[in-house]
Amino acid sequence: MTTELAYRSAAELAGLIRARTVSPVEVVQAYLARIDRWSEALGAYVTVCRERALDEARAAEQALGHGALGPLHGVPFAVKDQFDTAGVRTTSGSRLHADRVPAADATVVARLRAAGGILLGKLNLTEFALGGTLSYPFGQPRNPWDQTRETGGSSSGSGIAAAAALAAATLGEDTGGSVRSPASWCGAVGLRPTWGLVPRSGCVPVAWSMDAPGPLTRSVEDAALLLSIIAGPDGRDRWAQAAPGDLRADLERGAGGLAIGVVTRLVDSPDTDAEVRAAVRAAAETLRGLGARVEDVDLPLLPLAGAVFMALADGEAAAWHHRTLATRGAEYDAGTRRRLVTAALLPATLGQQAARARAAIRAQVEDALGRFDVLLAPTGPTAAPTIAGAQAPITSPAAAGRRFFNRRSYTTPASLAGVPALSLPCGFTAGGLPIGLQLIGRRLDEATLLRTARAYERATDWRACRPPLPE
Amino acid sequence: MTELTPDQVRALAAAAGLPLDGADLAEVTHRLNAFVDVLGGLAALDLTGAEPAPTSPPALSRDPALDPR
Repeated sequence: MTTELAYRSAAELAGLIRARTVSPVEVVQAYLARIDRWSEALGAYVTVCRERALDEARAAEQALGHGALGPLHGVPFAVKDQFDTAGVRTTSGSRLHADRVPAADATVVARLRAAGGILLGKLNLTEFALGGTLSYPFGQPRNPWDQTRETGGSSSGSGIAAAAALAAATLGEDTGGSVRSPASWCGAVGLRPTWGLVPRSGCVPVAWSMDAPGPLTRSVEDAALLLSIIAGPDGRDRWAQAAPGDLRADLERGAGGLAIGVVTRLVDSPDTDAEVRAAVRAAAETLRGLGARVEDVDLPLLPLAGAVFMALADGEAAAWHHRTLATRGAEYDAGTRRRLVTAALLPATLGQQAARARAAIRAQVEDALGRFDVLLAPTGPTAAPTIAGAQAPITSPAAAGRRFFNRRSYTTPASLAGVPALSLPCGFTAGGLPIGLQLIGRRLDEATLLRTARAYERATDWRACRPPLPE
Repeated sequence: MTELTPDQVRALAAAAGLPLDGADLAEVTHRLNAFVDVLGGLAALDLTGAEPAPTSPPALSRDPALDPR
């Protein structure tokens, strides 16, 4: 019973609570039981707000039948430990912030709570939301489908908690793929919104020009529900755009009549595993079968996107960290420190070349999105790699390029262009690891992106698959 | 740009006031040379008209309320 309740979607749970079929206390207890059973082994949570969540659940139960209820009334959620939470420590996955307790909630957290959601806790991440952490101070994140495998990052705990039902829904933050990558490798739905649609206030920054808070969930509907709640200006983020309204309104319109471009430069790349290519091509055919016009499209600059992204985003991050890096460098994880020092030493002329290349990549993406409603690609070239392999020493520049640039070239085009992108499950490898399908949409057109994803989700049974976690 | 040596990288880090001990030096050198290799190649691209603005010009930002599809 606990497992079945926990695997319900947030939207379903909200309906059951509203109808008094289940109580918020029962739902919170169901997730706490699963957290007790699995969080430590999977490295999912940094902090669990046990007593506070139970108190809020009791209050939510009392409130039933007394006035208007928010769309998440009584639904337990968890957030990446990059988002400030009033009175609850926010570590950013770093020893340097191990005792940092913010005074106020990040805007996105405040909005989920105002919608009636109950904060279950704070989720693990790569240090300061940069990838490549070697030693995690709050536990090694492990993939719920195979615990010897990576989860993807930086929103590692959010991917685990969504896939393994350790929360009804979660929030992550996506700079270069940090929501989509864990969604892909853990078998969840992850949505990077248009840059600026969701306020970043109270979110510890990675790279101001690309940071985008977004949901990681078990269903497309939940991604739409959470985005509808967290989007819109708040006065503390001057770039925040107008709210999109209820993004669930158009979810069931289907894929008929949509123009979908298959990004051949990523699908057919020699870096893309054959199983991933086959699953993504099959997904394109499914969408064609649903009435979409599906054609190949070539964006020749995309293989450069990973290096261009890292030159720019890491440079922004290195500027933010510079003083701490100079004075407390030994307290960083070695992988984080090496990444930040590298970015700090990059010649400015190369950084400017990267900035120009970004503009050219963005122009290619926008041009393609002028001809297609949605672009389709793998979220990454492979399913989840082993933890040991991902942490092996770098022994040459070519190895550094393969490790850091190649995989990022799949998710960073949307980041560089500032457009929305979503990852959802589209199959499994022969070894039982999830494969992610990436859909990229037009700026501020999350509605079409979600509609396409929902049409695919409804036409397939991947959503019903659960990681092999015994009771 | 030519490949950087560990001694050059150590000197750069010292000038920037950043820590770089023996364990980190080799890997940072490899990472920097990976950037030099890929980003140096950008000079061969035709980037005419590619102005390095970090975000799209506002005119490209579609407001669904004004431009429904």
